[in-house]
Amino acid sequence: MKYLPLVWAAIMRKPTRAVLTLLSVMLAFTLFGLTIGMNATFAKVQEESRDDRIFAFARFGGGLPVSLARQIAGMPGVSMIAGTDFMGGYTQDPKNRVFVQMMDENVPKVMNDWPITTAQWQLIRDNRQGLLVSKMQADRWHLKAGDNFTIVVPGIKKADGTTSWKFQVAAITQDINYMSQGYLFGNADYLDKGRILSDQGKIGQFRVKVSDASKTAEIAERIVTVFANSATPLETLTEKVAFDVSSGTGMDIAAVDREVALAGMFMVLFLTANGLAQAVRERFAEFATLKTIGFSDNGVIALVFAEAAIPCLLGAGLGLGVAEIVSNVMPKFLPPGQGLPIPTMTIMVFVWAGFAAAFVAFASSALPALRLRRMDIATALSGR
Amino acid sequence: MLRQIWIVSALNFKSLKSRFWQSMVIVVGLAATVGVMLSMLSLSAGMRQAYLNAGDPNRAIVVTKGVEQEGQSAITRAMAPMIAAAPGIAKDKDGKPLADRNLNMGVPVLRKDGSKGFTTMRGLADKGQGVRPELKIVAGRMFQPGKREMIVGVGAQAMFQHMRVGDKVILPDGEWPIVGVFATGDLLEGQLVGDTETLLTSTHKTNYNTVLVRLASPDSLDTFKKALTTNPALSVDVIRHSDWYKRVASQSTFALALLGYVVGAVMAIGALFGCLNTMYSAVSTRGREIATLRALGYGAFPVAVSVILEAVLLAVIGAVIGAGIAWALYDGKQDLFGNSVFYLSVSRTQFELGVIWAGAVALLGGLFPSIRAARRPVVEALRAT
Repeated sequence: MKYLPLVWAAIMRKPTRAVLTLLSVMLAFTLFGLTIGMNATFAKVQEESRDDRIFAFARFGGGLPVSLARQIAGMPGVSMIAGTDFMGGYTQDPKNRVFVQMMDENVPKVMNDWPITTAQWQLIRDNRQGLLVSKMQADRWHLKAGDNFTIVVPGIKKADGTTSWKFQVAAITQDINYMSQGYLFGNADYLDKGRILSDQGKIGQFRVKVSDASKTAEIAERIVTVFANSATPLETLTEKVAFDVSSGTGMDIAAVDREVALAGMFMVLFLTANGLAQAVRERFAEFATLKTIGFSDNGVIALVFAEAAIPCLLGAGLGLGVAEIVSNVMPKFLPPGQGLPIPTMTIMVFVWAGFAAAFVAFASSALPALRLRRMDIATALSGR
Repeated sequence: MLRQIWIVSALNFKSLKSRFWQSMVIVVGLAATVGVMLSMLSLSAGMRQAYLNAGDPNRAIVVTKGVEQEGQSAITRAMAPMIAAAPGIAKDKDGKPLADRNLNMGVPVLRKDGSKGFTTMRGLADKGQGVRPELKIVAGRMFQPGKREMIVGVGAQAMFQHMRVGDKVILPDGEWPIVGVFATGDLLEGQLVGDTETLLTSTHKTNYNTVLVRLASPDSLDTFKKALTTNPALSVDVIRHSDWYKRVASQSTFALALLGYVVGAVMAIGALFGCLNTMYSAVSTRGREIATLRALGYGAFPVAVSVILEAVLLAVIGAVIGAGIAWALYDGKQDLFGNSVFYLSVSRTQFELGVIWAGAVALLGGLFPSIRAARRPVVEALRAT
């Protein structure tokens, strides 16, 4: 600790260089925080997803006859089944896109890990037009319990030929982690009974709960096989697979994130290594003096390492702070309903950032340290 | 003046060798920035390109009022003939309007690597090839209307398993054989195509999704549009096919492109600080050299310009390296996103974007150091050790 002023003086010898380096490191770690934080979100979603649930939907799009629910529920190993649907539309202006998920009466039982109370679920059962609005969505549309909320859904016609669907906010509910822009839950009966007669009696998809989690994949396959030659062939995805980013789209987003973080680190490594090498070169004679007055090799090297480590660790801390702020602001700018993930700064993100910063500091001080160890004090002091 | 700039810059570049590692900070910084940005943008750029290719200004698409995707649109059997009877549609040699009833649905497929995915299955009706003359059969034959058979695009064939002529596609009413392979040079190539009416029966659907027409001329859109939008029996939007895909492109690539630019911007600012750092120290290590030049009568402006030029040159080298890496890794790679097959793209436009991006960073990064270099009093700089 008592050498801190010495290190500080060395860093502040060129204040412009110190500040620029710090800012550069900070930005690289902002990026690191955002990308690795994004991966932390993916991991969390994956971890929170349940291994005893299956999504079942129509293989060729369109709705599923609700009567299928009873058939699937009767299959061995299936303990419960719920139906969900969605309405994608807008409120007031086509710019204000709104996405409402419509839930049947079994959803509270199958999705019992969601932070919605039985009483809250009951509200949308008692009032078919009721709407459960998560805090985030309530903020976005300035809604409170009792408000009316009308959305226009171009794709779904009501029995009267119009496409505007009226809801009443039944309760403001707690957000669900992996629904990063919040959610709106309505009653599936309202959708089904409200639309034109020929479209009724259908539901978008089923959430199937199995009694033995080790048989989930097997049951998912069996559902596909059983209905393969029916009027409505089904396709299934286990919740674990559905929530795994690397399997959802073509590209492995988690890998892309890691590459971006790595590129940032590489850039910073070059920058700090050069800065440090230059600083040591400029002050070579000073280091010789330090050695002359009794500093050991390791002592001098420790000083150089500290000189590298301080901006790295400080920049990492600041960068993660900025990343944290950015990820809090981000949801407000993203289009809703697409379930775009938001980075979360978990402990692991900090640990990894710490490791990365330490590595950069270590790697940048390695060469200068070697030079200092091999230095010939007399030559260095003479300034040649 | 130009001569002075040239001489001072040449001197700078000659001394670059002695400042190699320092200069590499700029090169590496911008290579990383541009490489990462273009890699991230390759998906949205490829998607955008595919959508824009698919739209033809000579075609118009008719969809349910207010929808944003073909799949959400529903055109009833009663509406289709009314649409085909509207003025402004091109006629084939028999005098029939070139209006085609389309179906559009997702269909699960297996990628070559064994993972599950979805692509689009499209129904084309009797005027399908008239409306889309670019559709060419490259192997096998065209499907026959009324028969339960499919053709597959070359892009889908390259990406998914079980897509050869003779393979079977599982549909609700049994297995349909693939009888041909087609190429269009656009988005359709990633899809499976069958007969609209037969597919409707097979999938138990009652409505078409869209009607696609070939316009009599690009100018006849207004006539066609007016006839449909003033018809009270129809509640539809009529959009030029190219404009429709422009809209689809911006909607589906907005978030992806934004992400690419945000990451690119953050890295660029990081690289900017690195660039400033390097150029400040370059200017300070060459303080005496610059002062000597000034003493010899070279102006402050050429000195300043030469500093900026050096930064820009290094940055552009970095940008080209970064773009080259992104190109080598991703350009032309096939990918599946949102039920469509795309080719990732690091095109010339992307290259230019990268170079401009890097140039801008270097301009800013060289500006302040160049001012310092130019304004430093000559005597003081000469005296300094």
